[in-house]
Amino acid sequence: MYDLIIVGGGPAGVAAGVYAARKKIKTLLIAKEFGGQSLASADIQNWIGAKSISGFDLAKNLEEHLRAQEEIEILDGDFVAKVEKSKGKSFKAVTESGKNFEAKTVLVCSGSHHKKLGVPGEDKLNGRGVVYCSTCDAPLFGGKTVAVVGAGNAGLEAVRDLFAYADKIYLLVRGDAMKGDPVTLEEIKANPKLEIKYQVEVREILGEQLVTGVRYLDKAKNQTEELKLDGVFVEIGSAPNSDLVKDLVELDERGQIIVDHKTQMTSFSGIWAAGDVSDVLYKQNNISAGDAVKAVLNIYDHLNKNK
Amino acid sequence: MSKVTIYSTPTCVYCRMAKEFFHKNNIQYTEHNVAEDDAAREEMVQKSHQLGVPVIDINGEIHVGFNRSELERALGLK
Repeated sequence: MYDLIIVGGGPAGVAAGVYAARKKIKTLLIAKEFGGQSLASADIQNWIGAKSISGFDLAKNLEEHLRAQEEIEILDGDFVAKVEKSKGKSFKAVTESGKNFEAKTVLVCSGSHHKKLGVPGEDKLNGRGVVYCSTCDAPLFGGKTVAVVGAGNAGLEAVRDLFAYADKIYLLVRGDAMKGDPVTLEEIKANPKLEIKYQVEVREILGEQLVTGVRYLDKAKNQTEELKLDGVFVEIGSAPNSDLVKDLVELDERGQIIVDHKTQMTSFSGIWAAGDVSDVLYKQNNISAGDAVKAVLNIYDHLNKNK
Repeated sequence: MSKVTIYSTPTCVYCRMAKEFFHKNNIQYTEHNVAEDDAAREEMVQKSHQLGVPVIDINGEIHVGFNRSELERALGLK
């Protein structure tokens, strides 16, 4: 029986792990991998203490810092699929590979994942022209025609990643305005490779072996049209990985775990959450780390009170 | 010994993770940078029907993405 199970290896999970170890809380941290969603970032310039760091190096630093702690057990390469109520006040965490662990408290730092469009053809053509990691796969589209779906910063950055490779880039926007950073927007608008289409709702991704295009509704004209494409980059934001505790704790309408922002405690006594899986207003690495520290300090108090 | 080929791009973090995994386990591998090598890109698509990196070929068995436990199995490390 552990005192604490930490779910996740991003900035929140690792910060929690370091603090829990230093408080000598008997802890198990379970993570598929380290670094969180920033892992794929080419260059992070706002992680405090590092002027510029790649997602890869940030992940390495986080893992090293965690592994330097003697007082913590780590299970990596696996993830917690479900948290269940166990005997008394304890919890059982069940992993993807079928392992079970019991603990008095659980801190959920499972982050979020890329949202899908949810249209026909998307799953079939995932990795066959449908792309969710522009930094990874933009170089494969040299000389090609592609579309980026999404009007936020992630969409704008995907466009920027693609400028170096693709011949023609459509940016497909659902509404009639962009949501991303105005400075980046001005910068990308100046490039003749880009064509922005507003009022576009993607209905289907076309192709058999590889992507050949999209079918979309032009909402202004109210008619369905097709675009010939070699790739579709989906950048429509993220959704929280809260399924593992959805039967226990209260979630908001977006599926985020509702926490008390003073303590990070959820609606279920014994479960805390921090980072992008929680209903924190700003999704930032530094904030995730700080919130997770808050959670561990509160868990430490809770464990002491319930000894 | 296993014949290992990785198709990668320089910006792909999962490719770096895979290569680091090979180094740690003393696995020899051939690397093709498909961002620059069009022939290798075609070969990768032919083999895997994938347009996403990394694609890893272990003795003719195709692995898409970096999944440590899957690679350990394929390489007989576990």
